[in-house]
Amino acid sequence: MHLKKNKTGIFTVLNIKGRIDTIHSADLEKEVNMLFDSGEKYLIFNCGEMNYISSSGLRIFLIAQKKVMAMNGKLYLSNMQPSIQEIFRISGFSNLFKIFATQEEALQNQ
Amino acid sequence: MGNRKIKHFAIENRIEELTSLAEQIDNLAEEWELSPALAMNLNLVIEEAISNIIFYAFKDKVKHEIKISISLENKRLTIIITDNGIPFNPLEQQQPDISLPAGERPVGGLGIFLISQIMDEMNYERNKNENILTLTKSI
Repeated sequence: MHLKKNKTGIFTVLNIKGRIDTIHSADLEKEVNMLFDSGEKYLIFNCGEMNYISSSGLRIFLIAQKKVMAMNGKLYLSNMQPSIQEIFRISGFSNLFKIFATQEEALQNQ
Repeated sequence: MGNRKIKHFAIENRIEELTSLAEQIDNLAEEWELSPALAMNLNLVIEEAISNIIFYAFKDKVKHEIKISISLENKRLTIIITDNGIPFNPLEQQQPDISLPAGERPVGGLGIFLISQIMDEMNYERNKNENILTLTKSI
């Protein structure tokens, strides 16, 4: 797993690359918590290069969404691969997030 | 294609073992010419089952072996996972309510549910001191 972040307008974009599995999900959680701790509440997770997610990764996404909601912020997902979209669909997670085809579309929804 | 392919794997009950297991499953998927989407699902189902076993099945600090066999016959994929932990029937686990909004959605409890959604059949058997989980899917 590899994480890269950059700030675009009010949003912090977190590029998530590789596998979000039982072993790597703790690193993702740490990174997301650091964003929250530094006051960020408008987030885009660009999932274009995320090629695997298990329930431990989904758990981190849900925790992030709950925290963002509590702060009246925004968490958007973008660029998801079809096989990942399918995991989100069968777990009911498609309904819990705003998912955009591209990062540009997500950025337009301030 | 009546020929049956089968591969056996064995890992220790340490979560770090999942990394090399995932690589071995990716290699098997390539060798058996499974689609990338199916390879991902195969990895996912095995990770969910194995991580459950590693986290919850053993109350001692002793090394245990978890066995995994994957077979393919007549376009039917079968995964058998065997461990000697405490009796645990995943079929009896409560299913999450996936219609709940994010605020009410409990965190966790999705692993077994994902297995049940991805695979066609899920069977559990306790034999002597072993849990045997059999998962099948037509591909």
